[in-house]
Amino acid sequence: MTRATGPYPEKIWLYLHFPLLPLDALLDDSKIEDDRQIPTAVVGQEKNAMRILCCNDSAKKSGVEPLLSLSTALALCPDLLTLQQQPEREQTTLQQLALIAYSFSPVVIIAEQGLWLELSGCEKLFRSYRQLLQQLQKKLSHRCAHIDMGIAGSADAARLLCQTGFRCELPERAEVEQQLRLTPLSLLNIQRRQQQSFKQLGLTCLEDLLVLSRAELASRFGTDIVDQLQLLLGEQPCQLTRFKPAVSFHDLLQSTQGIFSKQGLLFPMKTLLQRLSIYLQARQCYCRKIEWRFEPLIGEPSSMCISLSGSQNSWATLLDLSRLQLERIHLPASIETIILSSDDFVDGLPEGLDLFGTAPSSNNALDGEVSLEASRLIDSLRARLGPEALQQPALGSNYLPEEAGKIVAPGKHPQLTVDHNGLQPLWLLPRPIAIQLRQQQLFWRRPLYILSGPRRLSDNWWQTDQQRDYYLACDNEGARYWLFRQAGTDRWFVQGLFS
Amino acid sequence: MPNTEIISKLLARHDTWRGQSQKSTQRSVSSGNDQIDLLLKGGWPTAALTELLVQRPGIGELSLLLPAIRDYCQNNHLSVWLDPPYQPYAPALAAAGIALQKVLIVQSKNPREWLWIAEQCIRNNALLLAWSDNKMASYSDLRKLQLAAADSGHAAFLFSANKERNHQQSGSSPATLRLEVDSAGEKNLRLSVRKLRGVAPGEQLLIPRGKDLSSQTSLAKLPVNSIHSATPISTDIPRIKTSEQRLNV
Repeated sequence: MTRATGPYPEKIWLYLHFPLLPLDALLDDSKIEDDRQIPTAVVGQEKNAMRILCCNDSAKKSGVEPLLSLSTALALCPDLLTLQQQPEREQTTLQQLALIAYSFSPVVIIAEQGLWLELSGCEKLFRSYRQLLQQLQKKLSHRCAHIDMGIAGSADAARLLCQTGFRCELPERAEVEQQLRLTPLSLLNIQRRQQQSFKQLGLTCLEDLLVLSRAELASRFGTDIVDQLQLLLGEQPCQLTRFKPAVSFHDLLQSTQGIFSKQGLLFPMKTLLQRLSIYLQARQCYCRKIEWRFEPLIGEPSSMCISLSGSQNSWATLLDLSRLQLERIHLPASIETIILSSDDFVDGLPEGLDLFGTAPSSNNALDGEVSLEASRLIDSLRARLGPEALQQPALGSNYLPEEAGKIVAPGKHPQLTVDHNGLQPLWLLPRPIAIQLRQQQLFWRRPLYILSGPRRLSDNWWQTDQQRDYYLACDNEGARYWLFRQAGTDRWFVQGLFS
Repeated sequence: MPNTEIISKLLARHDTWRGQSQKSTQRSVSSGNDQIDLLLKGGWPTAALTELLVQRPGIGELSLLLPAIRDYCQNNHLSVWLDPPYQPYAPALAAAGIALQKVLIVQSKNPREWLWIAEQCIRNNALLLAWSDNKMASYSDLRKLQLAAADSGHAAFLFSANKERNHQQSGSSPATLRLEVDSAGEKNLRLSVRKLRGVAPGEQLLIPRGKDLSSQTSLAKLPVNSIHSATPISTDIPRIKTSEQRLNV
């Protein structure tokens, strides 16, 4: 591709800056709308004084601005709601934003208070860069209220050109180059001494540096400055570490007031599940198990685990299952922290579409596999009734009837194809019941009569040798039974019913 | 002005009674036995609740449904067994061609849960086999299941003990089909229709029980007495002579 074909034949770097990240990290996304009205600011320790780090628009109206000391800010705006900065939560929020961005571009890099995305080629999925940027803004604005952006041919240049506000248009390349050339040198990341010498030499903007020969620059100001210029112009590839989704999912929401009802839990749970869903989409996998943990301020936390029999990544289904299971557990009186974690994933394309863009129908599932609908039913039954209420019959590898037919938890089928032929009952008693012999008459609940048999079954010789003669018997009302006599003895047992 | 749309919608409903019209609108799934299909006008009704009034367990009532269960499982539906009286024996199910992964056994703890599970299963396109021995389902509960089955378009089977229902609600049930299953001697099973649209109540069918008894034991060698009790059974099994069955003790 030549330079003439489009405005950006090479790389397109987008830098997103989140000026209110410290604030957004501390507010639940559920409440962002309400909290915009209240003047709010985040304060942090800086040079032995508490200073404002960032504040929202309504606080700015009262004259509060970053770097003011806390006391000045409170004097300006007595209603100011101040929050303590929490760097680890900022990092978590940044990770979440990176996850969202990850579904727009494969190259996402986390910066100090922003993200880089490399967009070249990504517009094909969204039909145009404009639509890509629109959707990106829509997705990100759920989590972060203010976004500044810059677009350029290299990562560093994009950051340099970052401007307030989000625009959904790709700027012209010439325009970008022009802007870059006019960037004052004071914005570059260079030592103060060097800044001084540039100033003395009459070099003010980047253009002045670019006209000089690189070799001369290097010999006079050191190789660092040349490296920086090369990075800015995209002549050197970006070496920063790319973002990759974490191996396991762990997220939490805190409620300062505490949550007192199960109904009140549903909203934060929904938020967490939506984040999980974004994570699953970014990693292109399904989840098999999620774990909830509800922590009160004081006292014992309670937790619940939801295992999924099939592959699932829709948050609505997960919320339904969680709600069903929530009814069964006992919760602490007031819940302060809700934690969602999951580390059991299966690879696969969520909501897999085939070549023609349609979802493959569930009827095409393999014979041994349970369809999506069936696994959903199993999940909702398990969530409501508990795992112990669900069972499946399974074949055993032994010929003794009590071991040949087993009952296992759903989905725990051994891969067996055992040929158990012959006469077999549909119902098996939990264990063989010894039956009486009254004057040579078999008797269990009522007199029994042999219809056919015997069929000799000899098994388990390595433990206790079992030799049994199986008979089919009936009573005078037509019910049929499966009896056996232990060979060599006169002990009779009933083991099953033919139904 | 008559609203023809509403009328045609009403006529499209399978539960609208249309006078003497003999056209059967009931959809059904084959029972795997021609005689039963003939009796039930095509087989087990789908989109409907079927109530099997079983005289007592063990007379062969479940074997009647095995072909239908197998077909459902082959079509990738789950078959849910709700509160079965005993443990289903996996080898027998496998021998009947039923995929064991598609069979789910569910135990309920109380009648409310029982009803919830039953409705969930029907609405999620599973084949329901429910036993309601201890928890008598009320008329409104059964109506709920019947409606759920009509919505989902699948068959649902309910095994209830014959006697109790007889006593409690002299035959009134919302189920589309009520079939009494009775044993007629050791070898036969008697099916009598209590309620089915287009079939006169009381119509009966005698079918042999499936298992082949050709490997008749030499009863003389048995160490037990195998004489039948004195109570006469209306049966077509040839009586075995007493002397052959007696033991030489």
